[in-house]
Amino acid sequence: MKATLVWSVPKPEKVIAVAMRRCYSTKPIEEIEAELEQKGPEYWKYLMTRALQDKSLDVIEHFVFSVVVDGMPESEAGRLALGFPYVKFLRLGEGRWLVSMNARTLVEIWRGQAFRGLAEAVVAEFDRRDVCPIFNSLVFGERGRAG
Amino acid sequence: MREAVRVKLLHHTDVGALKGALEREGVPFDPKALLDHVVYMFEIEDCSRVTTHQLVRHRVASYDQESQRFSSASREGFVSPPSIASNQAALKVYDDALKVVYEAFEKMTSLGVPKEDARYVLPNAIKTKLVMTVNARSLMHIVWQRTALQAQWEIRQVVGEMFRLAKEATPELWTAVVEG
Repeated sequence: MKATLVWSVPKPEKVIAVAMRRCYSTKPIEEIEAELEQKGPEYWKYLMTRALQDKSLDVIEHFVFSVVVDGMPESEAGRLALGFPYVKFLRLGEGRWLVSMNARTLVEIWRGQAFRGLAEAVVAEFDRRDVCPIFNSLVFGERGRAG
Repeated sequence: MREAVRVKLLHHTDVGALKGALEREGVPFDPKALLDHVVYMFEIEDCSRVTTHQLVRHRVASYDQESQRFSSASREGFVSPPSIASNQAALKVYDDALKVVYEAFEKMTSLGVPKEDARYVLPNAIKTKLVMTVNARSLMHIVWQRTALQAQWEIRQVVGEMFRLAKEATPELWTAVVEG
């Protein structure tokens, strides 16, 4: 199975950090964004680490993306749609799909094993495109480092 | 202070990128088929908790909201509905009640009660902030329900502004959907 990135929210790790800071700050969003930009990726990593430790996976739902998936039979897509209703599909051709989801669903698919091939293909594509190196390293570890 | 609610579109799916992917696959562009795939992330500031209680009932979306466990209430941080703000006598009753409530909150926290417990006294009028990520299909449903005339004035303002921003950012999607 192969995944090709079509679109991802820009700077997904910062977006996750914004969502987390929103919960704890009274500041307007522009100030939160400026503060996060100034503090940089190490601080985003700190916030993400805390969110993962607290199992506050809601904040990673704002990391959304679309990929073209090649090599997923219709039967598998059907089972995936039943098990994960927040994954959205558009059939492009035989075994080819436009798939959109958020990172929380990706993590759940990864952990669920049944559709691990899809999750691994997406994580490998994120690695290849350098979409979210901190997130991949924190959530998927060395197993996410494909090619 | 009685300033209006503020809605800002932080991010949205690049519809052109989706369109390009479809073109490369030889699949005709059908905006309605992309409603599940186009996503918007909004910041909503200074609306009341009355409105956010209504908003989060729409479950096909992601929300992260300013927590009252950690952030403090402020004396100015309350929304006044127009029916109260335009009635001097009612406004005095309202402001007096909010003053008592706010002072009770302040006093309890100064006595060592944690914010997470002192907040039980705070009213639905308190202003809040949240980020919300929602796809176009779910947004369309929210717009259909929450901009109807029978919906409440504040959520109509919030959702009306979300819809305006979504249409402005991705006109190729909404023109077809609204006209179709």
